[in-house]
Amino acid sequence: MKLLALIKKEFHRFFHDPRLIVTMLLPGIVIFLLYSALGEIIYTEESRDLKVYLSGESNVVAMIEGMIEQNGDKVEWLPLESEETARAAILDGEATAILTFTENFDSFGENASVGIVYDNGSTDGSYFYSLVSSVLIGVGMRFPIRVQTVREDTEVARNFMQSALPFIVICFIFAAGMSVTLESVAGEKERGTLATILVTSAKRRDIALGKIVPLSCISMLGATSSFLGIALSIPKLMGMSFGVFGGYSGWSYLLLFAAILSVVPLIVSVISTVSTLSRSVKEASAYTSGLMILVMVISLVSSFVPSMGNWVFLIPVLNAVVAMQGVLAGGLLVWQTLAAVGINLVCTAGLVFLMTKLLSSERIMFGK
Amino acid sequence: MEEIVRAEGLRKTFTLSKKQQRIERTGETRRIAVDGLSFSAYRGEIYGLLGPNGAGKTTTLRMLATLIRPDSGDAVLMGHSIVKEPDRVRDIIGFMTSELKLEGFFTPDYLFDFFGMMHGMDKDKLAARKRDLFARFGIDKYAEVPVKSLSTGMLQKVSLVISIVHDPEIIIFDEPTNGLDVLTAKVVTDFLVELKGMGKSILLSTHIFSLVEKLCDRVGVIIDGKLVQEGTLVEVSKGDLETSFFELYHRIKGEIV
Ligand SMILES: Nc1ncnc2c1ncn2[C@@H]1O[C@H](COP(=O)(O)OP(=O)(O)OP(=O)(O)O)[C@@H](O)[C@H]1O
Ligand SMILES: [Mg+2]
Repeated sequence: MKLLALIKKEFHRFFHDPRLIVTMLLPGIVIFLLYSALGEIIYTEESRDLKVYLSGESNVVAMIEGMIEQNGDKVEWLPLESEETARAAILDGEATAILTFTENFDSFGENASVGIVYDNGSTDGSYFYSLVSSVLIGVGMRFPIRVQTVREDTEVARNFMQSALPFIVICFIFAAGMSVTLESVAGEKERGTLATILVTSAKRRDIALGKIVPLSCISMLGATSSFLGIALSIPKLMGMSFGVFGGYSGWSYLLLFAAILSVVPLIVSVISTVSTLSRSVKEASAYTSGLMILVMVISLVSSFVPSMGNWVFLIPVLNAVVAMQGVLAGGLLVWQTLAAVGINLVCTAGLVFLMTKLLSSERIMFGK
Repeated sequence: MEEIVRAEGLRKTFTLSKKQQRIERTGETRRIAVDGLSFSAYRGEIYGLLGPNGAGKTTTLRMLATLIRPDSGDAVLMGHSIVKEPDRVRDIIGFMTSELKLEGFFTPDYLFDFFGMMHGMDKDKLAARKRDLFARFGIDKYAEVPVKSLSTGMLQKVSLVISIVHDPEIIIFDEPTNGLDVLTAKVVTDFLVELKGMGKSILLSTHIFSLVEKLCDRVGVIIDGKLVQEGTLVEVSKGDLETSFFELYHRIKGEIV
């Protein structure tokens, strides 16, 4: 009962204040407008001329070509004579990629697979690669794709979707969490309105949950807005006419969503706990900004270090970043993602416990 | 006379932070705020803790209101110990002090219901009590106005009414009229008289002699965290409260600041 009243109060505060709603949703809208405008500027003039070496046959080729033309670009198919000269041409920027289909690919022959070699340092190459993989996944072909790049992975940024997106999502969750939680927890403590609740017989645990639960939901809303802003504008930014998530299966969505969902309450409870410890909003925001930078650096680093081994799934927040990267790269990391979700939830529970203890501590709540 | 509050040997020390030491220009790291305080208050009476700045009044009331725990000693309020059953104590007291604030965004109506639920009251009783109290203190017209837009006097009334939303038997009030203009101060003193009329027991702290003379049935004089005198208003004031207080202070501290 008391917990419910506490949660309701927090929602009431948020949804009856247009200013708060706007600050929460604005980043997503701004990103969308900004990125879309940027995409328009970059891609309206120029159209791509792709040169791709082709070996083997498949109906998929026509689909790929259709997609490319739909985007207003052109593709020229070249016969693959020697892989070596083709690779050299790609490295020199004279060709875009090599695409190979195994024999009897369309009749699901044994060991049917697709091979693609491209320059991961060129935008044309990355564009072609993401286009091919979306077409393949989009038509429901579950063939292994053998991907080779002509440069070392660390030499250039990897595919934007796999590496940067999870990082950006975490940043948005953090930003959304900060914008509501600091004001609600550190602000209430500073203004003395939290003390008014502490003199009632409400359980300290309910007071902690009464903050973390609704603030997580609200932060999720803010993060979703930012996320949609990116998701809807990336295709335009990358010059593609299809959505970023068009090519993924329902399971991938579910895993992505679970990973994101488990990080939100964790980050909100970290900020809530820090806010409870701080004397003022200013102090709390200084600490959380520091934390945010730390999390950003860690997840950014993880984006550029390939295959760190399964131990990363034991580290809260980072585990979700890596899980999202894996899923976006086309793998279904079911167990790893579930482990990440579990660990994040356990950490959240630990932080709720810690915040409860802090709310019961007179030195923290009423010290001078 | 039914004893409703009994404090026995309450003691509270604080560790002074570096910043506090600098501000107060002192080298000591620990401060004894309340030093073995014992007193009793009775049902239906107004008990006043009278003392100079820094005597330990606020600290004592915060311990009774269960915001902070005594280092040693205990107090029993209507049979409930502040150390062993703080949750029970919270439901039988109303604590009023300027350090407890209401969120300016919400309306008196919303806050009344919210704090009623925080004390575990049922809906019907809460609604009836809201009608009664809002009418009695003239809040009904402002029930839907955000607290931040209320006048100081009305805000004070709202805070007072909300702190007794759960119909507590004991009201604890730190410096009831401090920093208030004469009109708002009258709102508060009238409120206290009204509560006493309802048969509630009141414990207040102050350093203002006239307030004690006007309101209190019993007085405890507190200096340096110790109770130095206790009795009915007549017993303590011996004709003039101010004169007898300074005599007492001189006897104990050997000086007049
Ligand atoms: N949280 C705290 N940390 C450190 N010292 C404290 C704390 N609270 C009170 N003190 C010290 O304890 C002593 C008693 O303080 P208290 O506030 O109880 O006095 P008071 O009688 O209410 O005085 P005033 O009339 O100024 O309100 C003072 O010396 C004060 O500086
Ligand atoms: Mg005081």
